Amino acid sequence: MKIVIAGAGEVGSHLAKLLSNEEQDIMLIDQDTERLSVLDANYNLMTVVGDPTSFSALREADAGRCDLFIAVTPYESNNIVACSIAKNLGAKKTVARINSYDFMDPANSAHVKHMGVDKVIYPEYLAAEEIITALRRNWIRNWFELHDGQIILAGVKLRAGAPIVGMKLRDFTFTNHHFHVSAIKRNHETIIPRGDDQMAEGDILYFTTTRDHIDELITLSGKTEQKIRRILIMGGSKIAVRLVNLAGDEFRFKIIDDDRALCNRLPQKCPDCEIIHGDARDIDLLAEIGIADMDAFVALTDSSETNIFSCITAKELGIKKTIADVENVQFISQAENLNIGTVINKKLLASSSIFQMMLDSDSSTSKFMALADADIAEIEARPGSKITKAPVRELKLVREMTLAGLIRDGQGQLITGNTHIQAGDHVLVICLAGSLHKVEKFFV
Amino acid sequence: MIRKLVQNRLVNVRMLTRIAGWLLLIESFFMLFPTITCVIYGESDWLPFASAACLTALCGLILATRSRPTSHHMGKRDGYLLTAMVWIVFSAFGLIPFLFCSRPLSVTDAFFEAMSGFTTTGASVLSSFAELSHGVHLWRAIMQWIGGMGIILFTLAVIPMLNHSGGMQMFNAEVTGITHDKIRPRISQTAKSLWLIYLSLTIVLVLLLWAGPMDLFTAICHAFGTISTGGYSTSETGIIAWDHSVYVKAVLIVFMFLGGVNFGLIYKCARGNFRVLRSNDVFRAYLGIIGVMLVLFAVSILWTGAWSGWQQLTLDPLFQIVSTITSTGFTVANFELWGPFVLALTFVMMFFGACAGSTSGGAKIDRILYLFKNSRNELYRCLYPNAIHSVKVNDKVVSPELVSKVIAFLCMYMLLVVSGGIALTACGVPVVDSFFSAFSCISNTGLGAGVTGYGQSYEIIPAAGKWILSLLMLTGRLEIFTILVLFLPSFWRG
Repeated sequence: MKIVIAGAGEVGSHLAKLLSNEEQDIMLIDQDTERLSVLDANYNLMTVVGDPTSFSALREADAGRCDLFIAVTPYESNNIVACSIAKNLGAKKTVARINSYDFMDPANSAHVKHMGVDKVIYPEYLAAEEIITALRRNWIRNWFELHDGQIILAGVKLRAGAPIVGMKLRDFTFTNHHFHVSAIKRNHETIIPRGDDQMAEGDILYFTTTRDHIDELITLSGKTEQKIRRILIMGGSKIAVRLVNLAGDEFRFKIIDDDRALCNRLPQKCPDCEIIHGDARDIDLLAEIGIADMDAFVALTDSSETNIFSCITAKELGIKKTIADVENVQFISQAENLNIGTVINKKLLASSSIFQMMLDSDSSTSKFMALADADIAEIEARPGSKITKAPVRELKLVREMTLAGLIRDGQGQLITGNTHIQAGDHVLVICLAGSLHKVEKFFV
Repeated sequence: MIRKLVQNRLVNVRMLTRIAGWLLLIESFFMLFPTITCVIYGESDWLPFASAACLTALCGLILATRSRPTSHHMGKRDGYLLTAMVWIVFSAFGLIPFLFCSRPLSVTDAFFEAMSGFTTTGASVLSSFAELSHGVHLWRAIMQWIGGMGIILFTLAVIPMLNHSGGMQMFNAEVTGITHDKIRPRISQTAKSLWLIYLSLTIVLVLLLWAGPMDLFTAICHAFGTISTGGYSTSETGIIAWDHSVYVKAVLIVFMFLGGVNFGLIYKCARGNFRVLRSNDVFRAYLGIIGVMLVLFAVSILWTGAWSGWQQLTLDPLFQIVSTITSTGFTVANFELWGPFVLALTFVMMFFGACAGSTSGGAKIDRILYLFKNSRNELYRCLYPNAIHSVKVNDKVVSPELVSKVIAFLCMYMLLVVSGGIALTACGVPVVDSFFSAFSCISNTGLGAGVTGYGQSYEIIPAAGKWILSLLMLTGRLEIFTILVLFLPSFWRG
């Protein structure tokens, strides 16, 4: 697939590396020669120096003949213009990153389409959605759904005293038919577990299950479900505004920000929530607001460090659920180990969403990429493929992968050793990063 | 040193040995062609070729299958080390047939000959070709042909497993030029396109030569030696054997010229975009230099009176100019009679070389352009110290870092020529010939030592001198950095 990416910022570079590793033809356009030369020398892609909103640069990148054009420069209007030019030159599908809800509004979608933008990506919106999911399922770290929730993959941190701590996987599946432990994240490493592996305190377990049984996980992992209602948001950023507007009446929000001018503007954008001017790192101020009564703390300032540390402080003050926006990709792995409930990153969300879009056109494989060093993919078994030849236990599968569940005729079910995969099944596969191409061989 | 690398995990040794194994398998495949040729012509040399092919294949198989890499990651160090290593290993195995053929060479001579072939230098230690079999001729031609476009580039085109960032590092370490422009998004596509152009040019050239006075075998050998800008011939007098044929010389001029053009540019032209030729500063400079040189050559020849017809004033100098600037190293008859000025111009052209991204050697015109433009800016700055002037090539402003890299390259280049020349004088070679040979080898031109009147071929240079020249050829072919970086202490320490 020929893909042209305009803008080599964090989202653009991240996507380019990711897609290049997936053996796609990548052209990357940016005005910054230095930044491009680093990428050009180290990754399997081609770069064009030029203005993404100019005909000449887009022609040079052959945007007219690409299958997918992705505009992810920092400026919304540039992205729209770039998409418009690319579409007019003949690009099959265009995606633009936007910075306001305006272009996403269904009322405007026909106009947006008319401008040559097929899809829009709004990272702040994606982040807000992610935060709401995390607040609703507050005992879960990661949450993926397949086929409208027919199959669910949930990442849960194992607390001390949970009934399954110390249990071997083999014994666990013997008594719990409705769960499949697909991956274990221990310290910094992700393991694809075997029957002999033990579950230990502090592990993040990735369970595959169906919707009916998801609630049983709460007791299994030693958690108690809390209903979240009152939420303190630190930082009146765009994500915060989006979050407040998206959530509606479900939650009660308080936003605290140290920029008075911003605080003055906020009531216009978020009419129903309480705005407080002050520094959320000030513990006295937090006590004054009534931090003790809060159910959750969401840190959304521009500084990743501030977000991480204030979440840790909030945890110490007794808040059950904390969510931090960590924009420095390097910090994510560290932050996840720091007992912060959920870490979100706009750039990763945007890239994975675009990635998903690319895969939609090629429906046989789709991949989520929320884990640091493991890939989760939904792959369709083709007729006559190796995977359909025998029940799972008789297949000689590679060690880096596990088959978690499948969807047959729209119904989700888990995979055990006795399952015989049939052609047309959509199989949920979890494998270590970089081994997806080995896995795909079984399905073609 | 190697052990240190493994301990420090600086280099993915298992991956490197595996790739080296694959490469040896490819080399053994190419050795089959001379074997078959010998069998067809009923020559006894098929045995050394067949055994060399078997030995190479065996070593390749062992390395490729025995080495089980735990990770496929390859970094910058791996790229440099592997590329340098591959060229040496290729020569080391490529010399085997020379050791046991009907006119056996010493190890030194054979290594020199193989290295000279792969680096498309075309400097030969053979002075009499009478006893050489067709197989040996073909093998010399094939070595140049593979080396011309690049061993690594060929591998990238045929081994899909290298289609990742590790392949990128190798590509960067081998391909000539300052910035290594890709012509298509993925590295294997780039390699395939470049090889396709190269292959098509070769086939056209073979057919053209075959249509002329040459037989098929000679046509193939000369085509391989021309398009790769190597310069090995099948006769000891070189291209002088075809001195009577205007057709051969004209065809060779065109294809030597093409061999000196950036292949990315040819690719764009092949896709119908001829405008790039006009807007490409380097291509225009290439044409300009050839034009100016032609005038200077003609005047100089007129002055010395070494001419007896129009052909000696037009076609012959043009042939010599294109042959020198593209680092092919064919010589026309009476070249040595043209006088010292022409010889001096030859030095200049060997230094310049042709366009980056071509099969030619030398410092490349791109770098010379950078040098001149930057020098002009520096002079201008003497008058207007606060003026900002950037180096602009092909309508693109070049970053100061790149300019400084290019100037460093040119300085190192000259230092290497000087130290190589001095080292040769220590081996007992006369001064002028020392510097000429060093220049000729580092620029991969391979103009015979005979040009300066010292012996008939490189045979006369002492053994130590041949090793020095072999190293210079390799350094020149891989454009200095790839080899010299290996001598940096921090390359071997973390």
